[in-house]
Amino acid sequence: MSKDRISINQYALMYLLLIAGGKFLNLPSILAADVGHDSWLTIAFSFVWDAVCLVFLLWAIKINKDSQLDLSAILSKTVGKVVSKIVLVIFFVMFVVRTNILLAACYKMFAVTFDVSTNWIVFVLPVVALSVLTLKLGFTSVARASQLLFGIIFICVVSLLFSPIAQVEFGSLLPIGEAGWGKIFSTSFLRSFWFTDYVFIYLLLDNVKVKNKVFSPVLTAFAVGAVLTVAMNAIFVALYGSLASQFDLAMSKIGVHFVSNSSNGRWDWLTLSVWLISVFIKIVVFFYCAYKCLEKIFEFNSDKINFWAVGAITLLYMLPMFISTEIALNTVVQYGLLVFALVQYVLPIAMPFLTKAAQIKTAAEKGEQPQKASADKVKEKIGV
Amino acid sequence: MYNIKKVFIFIAVVVLIALIAGSFVGEDLVGRAIIIGLGIDTCEEGVRVTAEIVSPASSGEQIGTFSKTVSADGKSLATAISRIAELTGKEASLGRCLIVIFGQNYYEQRDLSNEIEFLIMSDSFKESSVICCAEGSAEEMFNKGAAMSQGVSLTLSSMFKTQTKQTAIVTNTLLQYTLSQRSLLKTGYMNQVRFIPSNNVNTNEPDKAQGYFDLRNIAIFGENKYMCMLSDAEIRGLALLNADVIGSTFVCTEDDKQLTVTINSKNIGLSLNQDDTVKCKIELMGKVVRTDSGEVEGPLVSQDTKDLSPQVIEDIVKQATEDVNALLEKQREYNFDVVKLHETFRRKNGDSKQLDELATADIKVELNVTFKEK
Repeated sequence: MSKDRISINQYALMYLLLIAGGKFLNLPSILAADVGHDSWLTIAFSFVWDAVCLVFLLWAIKINKDSQLDLSAILSKTVGKVVSKIVLVIFFVMFVVRTNILLAACYKMFAVTFDVSTNWIVFVLPVVALSVLTLKLGFTSVARASQLLFGIIFICVVSLLFSPIAQVEFGSLLPIGEAGWGKIFSTSFLRSFWFTDYVFIYLLLDNVKVKNKVFSPVLTAFAVGAVLTVAMNAIFVALYGSLASQFDLAMSKIGVHFVSNSSNGRWDWLTLSVWLISVFIKIVVFFYCAYKCLEKIFEFNSDKINFWAVGAITLLYMLPMFISTEIALNTVVQYGLLVFALVQYVLPIAMPFLTKAAQIKTAAEKGEQPQKASADKVKEKIGV
Repeated sequence: MYNIKKVFIFIAVVVLIALIAGSFVGEDLVGRAIIIGLGIDTCEEGVRVTAEIVSPASSGEQIGTFSKTVSADGKSLATAISRIAELTGKEASLGRCLIVIFGQNYYEQRDLSNEIEFLIMSDSFKESSVICCAEGSAEEMFNKGAAMSQGVSLTLSSMFKTQTKQTAIVTNTLLQYTLSQRSLLKTGYMNQVRFIPSNNVNTNEPDKAQGYFDLRNIAIFGENKYMCMLSDAEIRGLALLNADVIGSTFVCTEDDKQLTVTINSKNIGLSLNQDDTVKCKIELMGKVVRTDSGEVEGPLVSQDTKDLSPQVIEDIVKQATEDVNALLEKQREYNFDVVKLHETFRRKNGDSKQLDELATADIKVELNVTFKEK
């Protein structure tokens, strides 16, 4: 059995853990600067687009249940090898940029919240080592780890989010839509880079075990994750008001308001540390996906770890030493928005049709080959 | 060749582990000066900071933790705090600070904006810390620990966070205060802490000072500058209009008997009418004060026998209305808003320059106070 094989339920659990990530760290302050206290609406709209695209993607997974074609094969057979590689390059850039932003946020979290100082290189190297271990052991290992840790991470997230709820004045979120519905909608597109966390399944299309249900477990996990993310944003903005745009580690700020913190220690630090495990899982998953993109682009042997690819990704993870997150967001992400939107939103909607077309083509190729083999044998016999 | 490769990999891994382990700069807990309370006064140089510091016991003979106060001067709050690190020989850690106290000589004369900005923008400083001002200097306040027989910061923060909510004392956190100074009318309040000396009945230590803290007084600030103090009636009005505090008391007379009624729950409703009048509805619920027999209080309790006559209830409503009106009048006089009248406009119509410039005196308030015995 492939060591990268995961079940739909494992995918659903991982997706729920991965939805948070940067949306609980940098994104709330960015959106607060864009649309003020209506940022929770922006997130809600973004999740609506995600839900639509996720349904199409799950449909594609269901269609692919028996044929188990990977993304590269599907795209090569339908839109051509060149377009397939271009799509994989876009995915690669997206995974690397998102990982760098997450790493930078975690680095800052450790430095300012937990007061642990280190340099960037020795912060990133252990994460890379963990990611290489995942490559060696297979994606199944990180899926299993996610299953094991899911319960405690979920409890910590809920505890962190809802402990300050008694102090939150939700009236601060009124009037709804003050920033203007046009601006809210457009911001949900302009900040789309932070969403569509389901994309990691593209690199596992040929390794998803589908038994019975496909839609309900994943959509349930998505709904729970979306509600928690919207709630988190609403609580953060309601608590911090006009100051929300100035604090870029939202999750660490929310926990400060747990009432008994003042006399009973920093419970929020404990729950925050546990929640950070999910961020590191996300970083490992994105590393895996970036590696698989390179594997498909350069068509190297998938049985052994290619250390040139690992080295290239590691070097790219050193970029935050030279380029800040803000510059990355204002350049690469801003100018690449439309390109990224192609793979985030257009591709999932096209996936069921591309998958079906690829299946038909594969079946047709298999049907032609036995006929060709028998025709060649006849020619040999009669000496033509 | 294969064995040489293994050796190289082993050496590389060992070097990497050593490099990683050596690069994490941590601090022993005993090497930290954990600041649990911060006092800010003026001095010749600029700012005098008094920090109540907790240091974990560093020898086997000591048990538990001990607090001491350290004062340092600097041109700014940041330099004064770094001087504390020099004086104590330990890195100052603000992540456990419970309370910030501004001394009277500081808040009455100076703009607090720089200090508030420094504290609120600090990543480790808790925005849920209590913020207050002192009668007298903050340094003297922090040195009252001996009179209290325990640390001042822990005593005050415990009083602010837990006891005040039951005794009709409104409090404020750094975050709420900062937000109040940044938006709408940019006015807010802080509690004023006073130390009230009491008689020393300890014959073993006759010279030792004793006393207690009074948190009831409220100072009003506008754009981080001191404006005025509230009177007793105005403070009672503020407590009545704050949904988070209970415990307001009313003394009434009926048939030559004195009755004391305490408020054990309330509903506050602020809404905007069509004619831009703010409708302020206060529903008070309370009962006659008995001795502390562990009675269950709150809105979700079973009905009890009624002790109060309609005349007494009318008297309670009259007293409550007078207290609230006293506060509203003071707001109009000094043009501040600590009861969210402007916020009522903002929630309906959104932010606007006209709203920021709207004087409190121009806001009509329709007050409706009711009392129910419960």
